[in-house]
Amino acid sequence: MRKLNYLVIYLSFIVGMMLLILPLPGWAKIYRPDWIALILIYWSMALPKYVGLFTAFIIGLLVDSLLGALLGQHALALVLITYINLNTYLRIRALSWIQQSLYVFSLLVISRFIIFWMDGIMGLTIPIQAIFSGPLIGMLVWPCAFFILRDIRRKAMIN
Amino acid sequence: MTQLYQQARGVTIRALLLVSICIGIMFVDHRYNHLEIVRSNISLVLLPVRYLVSLPVLGGNWVNDWFTSHTTLLEDNEFLQARGRILNGQLQRMQILQAENTRLRNLLGSSRKLTDKVIVAELLSVDQNPYRQLIEINKGSSDGIEIGQAIIDDFGVMGQVIHINRFSSTIILISDPDHAIPVQFIRSGVRSVAFGNGNTDHLELRFLPTTADIQVGDELVTSGLGGRFPADYPVATVASISDDLTDGFVSVLAAPKARLGSSREVLVIKVGDFDAGN
Repeated sequence: MRKLNYLVIYLSFIVGMMLLILPLPGWAKIYRPDWIALILIYWSMALPKYVGLFTAFIIGLLVDSLLGALLGQHALALVLITYINLNTYLRIRALSWIQQSLYVFSLLVISRFIIFWMDGIMGLTIPIQAIFSGPLIGMLVWPCAFFILRDIRRKAMIN
Repeated sequence: MTQLYQQARGVTIRALLLVSICIGIMFVDHRYNHLEIVRSNISLVLLPVRYLVSLPVLGGNWVNDWFTSHTTLLEDNEFLQARGRILNGQLQRMQILQAENTRLRNLLGSSRKLTDKVIVAELLSVDQNPYRQLIEINKGSSDGIEIGQAIIDDFGVMGQVIHINRFSSTIILISDPDHAIPVQFIRSGVRSVAFGNGNTDHLELRFLPTTADIQVGDELVTSGLGGRFPADYPVATVASISDDLTDGFVSVLAAPKARLGSSREVLVIKVGDFDAGN
């Protein structure tokens, strides 16, 4: 029974991947929040023993394949923000949700920056405002994501 | 407190290890194609996710088909039959010309193939990396698709296959900033390379000499150089020519013929071995 409850973690990541490739009109694409990073930040903050660096690495490789990016690109970004998160989650848990949103915003910007850096090394040109547009929306949806995922965790009785 | 500190140190070592693995993977993936098999397996695992996302669109099309009225179908049928007759009439002449052309080419000893086999594929409605121009189709290696095959729609060249798995494949469009296609002007025969610039409305042709015979409205076709794209498929129409006198080159913007943003069905061209009989 206990094993079964952890399925909700995998399910949440699958839903995140679906949101990540959901077709959006052209102008809205740069405002798409990084759902996978949000879900990963939540689980690694709530259950750091179960969702850690290795999960981030595997999920990153899946996202790379899904988006047709360089293999390892999103994996690197997700591993790094999970690393930061694992070092700070005890302090972040105690903050108010507005302060948490700002923290999440900075993590999302770091992850976006790493991904764009790799793109830059490969010689692709990137619209520079996109470094902030996605994370900004991500920051705004963080409280929603947080409350939904917390409810899911409590319903599934994972402690 | 010491326990927490211990845990943090273990985390640092693991993070460093994973980061170096990531960098290694990226390097190998960028330079070589050893990881194509890993990628195709991962993408096979994720196929249900892709299908789930494109389900509403596929379902919508299906419902549309189901509720098409009888009269619309009859009209369509009549129109298509008439069109089929006209095309068949043109094809008769075409076959004679093609046979003649093949005979002449054989006499000249030129080994250029004139017919290509095609596979019809449908787009999966999923978004890829927003800063790239990639699309996903519902045919994969089990249908005979291979990396490097050219993709066309009813109007012109769309792109080429870059990643495959058993049941789906990823297409890079000619408008991707990382893509270039060898082209030739039909009217003057000038050869060039058309670069994508991330915009589906135009391709760029750089560093053409100011003396080159180019006009707005010229048609561009694939030149067949480079060996990736078969020759003589329509690519684009010249939309504007900017004459930069300072460096002695002109750069040309050309509008792609294919409907890069809106085609739902595409053809994958299988270029087989040279067959003199065709």
